[in-house]
Amino acid sequence: MLTFYLKVNGSTRTVLCHPTKTLLDVLREDFQLTASKECCGKGECGSCSVLLNGEVVCSCLILISQVINQEIITCEGVGLTTNMDIIQESFGAEGATQCGYCTPGIIVSAKAFLNGIDYVPTEDEIKTALGGNLCRCTGYTKIIKAIRTAAEKELVIKGTVTN
Amino acid sequence: MKQLNTTKNEQSLNWVGKRVKRIDGPEKVTGELKYMTDLHFDNMVWGKVLRAKYPHAKIKSIHTLNAEKLPGVVCILTHKDIPGFNGFGIVIPDQPVLCSNIVRCTGDAICLVAAESEEIAERALELIDVEYELLEVVTDAEKAMTASAPQLHPDGNIHSHVKIKNGNTEEAFIEANIIVENTFYSPRQMHAFIETEGGWSVMDADGFITIHCPGQYAHRDRMQIARALAYNPERIRVISSPIGGAFGGKDEITVQIYLALLAMHTNGRPVKIHLSREESVIAGIKRHPFKVHMKTAAKKDGTLIANEVRAVADTGAYASLGGAVIALAIEHSCGPYKIPNVNLEGFCVYTNNGISGAFRGFGVNQVCMGIETHLDMIAERLNMDKVEIRKKNVYHQGEISSLGHIVKSSVGTFKTLELAENCDLWKNRRQYKSAVSEPWKKRGVALATSFHGIGMGIGLPDYGAASIEILSDGKFLVAVGCEEIGGGNSTAYAQVAAEILNCDINNIKVVQGDTSRTLDGGTVTASRSTYTGGRAVATAAPNMVKLLTNTAAELLNVPPSKIEVLPNCLNANGKVVNYQTIYQYLFEHHRSTRVEGHFILPKEKVEIEGSGGAPHHLYGYLTHVVMVEVDTLTGETDVLRVVSIPDAGKVINPQGLEGQAEGGAVMGIGYTLYEDVVIENGFHKTRNFTDYIIPTIRETPLIETFPVEDTPEESGPFGAKGIGEVVMIPIIAAIMSAIYDATGARIYHLPATPERIFNALKELKKQNVYSSR
Repeated sequence: MLTFYLKVNGSTRTVLCHPTKTLLDVLREDFQLTASKECCGKGECGSCSVLLNGEVVCSCLILISQVINQEIITCEGVGLTTNMDIIQESFGAEGATQCGYCTPGIIVSAKAFLNGIDYVPTEDEIKTALGGNLCRCTGYTKIIKAIRTAAEKELVIKGTVTN
Repeated sequence: MKQLNTTKNEQSLNWVGKRVKRIDGPEKVTGELKYMTDLHFDNMVWGKVLRAKYPHAKIKSIHTLNAEKLPGVVCILTHKDIPGFNGFGIVIPDQPVLCSNIVRCTGDAICLVAAESEEIAERALELIDVEYELLEVVTDAEKAMTASAPQLHPDGNIHSHVKIKNGNTEEAFIEANIIVENTFYSPRQMHAFIETEGGWSVMDADGFITIHCPGQYAHRDRMQIARALAYNPERIRVISSPIGGAFGGKDEITVQIYLALLAMHTNGRPVKIHLSREESVIAGIKRHPFKVHMKTAAKKDGTLIANEVRAVADTGAYASLGGAVIALAIEHSCGPYKIPNVNLEGFCVYTNNGISGAFRGFGVNQVCMGIETHLDMIAERLNMDKVEIRKKNVYHQGEISSLGHIVKSSVGTFKTLELAENCDLWKNRRQYKSAVSEPWKKRGVALATSFHGIGMGIGLPDYGAASIEILSDGKFLVAVGCEEIGGGNSTAYAQVAAEILNCDINNIKVVQGDTSRTLDGGTVTASRSTYTGGRAVATAAPNMVKLLTNTAAELLNVPPSKIEVLPNCLNANGKVVNYQTIYQYLFEHHRSTRVEGHFILPKEKVEIEGSGGAPHHLYGYLTHVVMVEVDTLTGETDVLRVVSIPDAGKVINPQGLEGQAEGGAVMGIGYTLYEDVVIENGFHKTRNFTDYIIPTIRETPLIETFPVEDTPEESGPFGAKGIGEVVMIPIIAAIMSAIYDATGARIYHLPATPERIFNALKELKKQNVYSSR
């Protein structure tokens, strides 16, 4: 057992655990950040997606000892019900969540994708960016719509700021 | 009092029929919602299940001593530790909770372990020594039906046999101008819900057990748990909602009994089980693979005159809902058509191939591909339009179905077909088909139509129940047994309640799937939860309006007839009473703050002999139009466009309906093109999402949904009926026909993998070469 320091959703957190514990298990069991889910445990489904220094990773494939002092953002860090991100609002408005179990991973992937661009993405670009996230309920159609809606809204806000 | 019934006209509706945002949206998009598999406690112990090493074997002995000695092991349970009945199963409880003398599939459970950590529990499983004597494995359903096959259950391998006969098929086949006859094979689809089976349980100091485990019918789960534990069900609470996807796969008991048993041996500590995906693949139920032989006859004007069906379903090691699945398949095997002469037969057969059970569509998927392919084949041979032949043969409300019963409830098929032939994709299909993305790719457009029974068939209890309580903060708590499995029924219930109570939807809270807080209102299966639960809410809400009105009348000292129900309050002669005041008054006067609504589903009076519960009183209908593009070099198929035209009666929430239509279409694409759990000699070759491919966002086509709403169902809430399953059914046949339209090759064996399509194209080429000689 060792003590590990890492930055999660903006705060420094410590955990005493075995160095081979996965980042996903630390988030869920030690930090009670359960938005990230385990579905396949193999990096196939994206349900455990988090941002590691701004990049989307499957937290089920990362060991805690690999992320010492690094910056992690989970879906809770993207926004909570009291201060939702535009992406989360758009997912709610467009009906892009059903059972909701895959949704936090998808929100995280969408966040990373939209952070990296400053235009409304094409459907094809969205499909490439979200290719690693499985959803069994929605048929993805409303997810695509929600990401476009979020991008449009973000542009409007950015436009207002520069004005 | 203002008239507040379900006959309000369209313009006056505030919530029903509107694109109301999901009430559970915010906590789902932020990840704040705690699913039951998310919970973790400091004093928690981990539960694990020892599964069978072989698909068919005698258990000679079980040695747990070495495992018990392992430090950190809390308890190890075997069949000897089951206080009550060692079995479960919705219809016939033939699946052992923990096997004692025989294992029939590799999903069979033998021991339960609880330990201080997951690792210790896993290590303990390795230390349990089970001695087996191997038995011959039954891998083929048809072979299982023969006398020489090893018998897997005392009554033989045929679990159920249904047979429907109407008219005289022999004579009709003689009279027929055209006969088509084919055999169709369908795959073992996995539900692939993102949340695998799991949950937690705890027993308190008074012996009260609470099981927190996603399921599709908490009240029935409790009954099955109580039966195995020999425990008073009143001392068991099951919380079954929310759920990270189910699709029928959590209809049967998953880990609830294991959790309850372990909780009895952990000294009051909570115990958690959460299956890995690999374990879920092996132990979870799957869709029944079918072999369907079908022979269909028509007159030269396209009138269908006979259909003969023989379907064999592989139910795996245990019954679960297999008997009901084959019965529903046979009931639907002639499509929504009026074929006067039918001879239909289905067998549900035990094998050692895992376990099959309920799955969205419930047997109809497997037969729809047969009848719809035959409709297209007959139309082609008669040079008849594909829509025309269907329009000619569909039954209308009040007409006699192929089963020989009068269909009394609403029927929207004809309308959906009219809409289909007028949709852009169908009207301009030639143009779309010519716009191929590469010269070696070919496009095809096709359509298919189907239907699906709503609610249980004859012989099973089917009722809905809801309660509404006014709370101290002036909000209403709507409680319905049916769980929120993702489909959005919670929002539908809130809409129905808000509509009738004439209040803002923010004033409605919904609780579901909890034996302590909800009335028993049946399953969330059989496309029934919006219809049944919605109707129960619509029955309870006027009782709440009455309670509010009478209380306001007392408060204001006026007769109830003077009370006006205004938005979010009540009023008489300019004096306004809000909900909080009404609650206060009721509370202070020790009066009930809660009302109930009950609803018995309408049923047919006469069961068709031998049918196992047919006919249903009510069906949902749907037509799909699809466009595919087939790569003729590789056999790979992309579905490019889908038009989904459901008849769901009055649509409670268009956004929710689209969500079902889109999700169902994509699940249907997966079923038709990729998905199959491969089992060889009783062992699963499929293990995880690495080798079980479900559609990703990349495979999502353009999906348009155009509901037909001019046939509202009188018995449903505001005219609604169910849609949750039929949304994935006709698309299967439509894709198969579109592949044919594109390439000239027909696929009879699903999934239509690139290999199968490539080989079919090769075969076609050979035939063309021979025929041109």
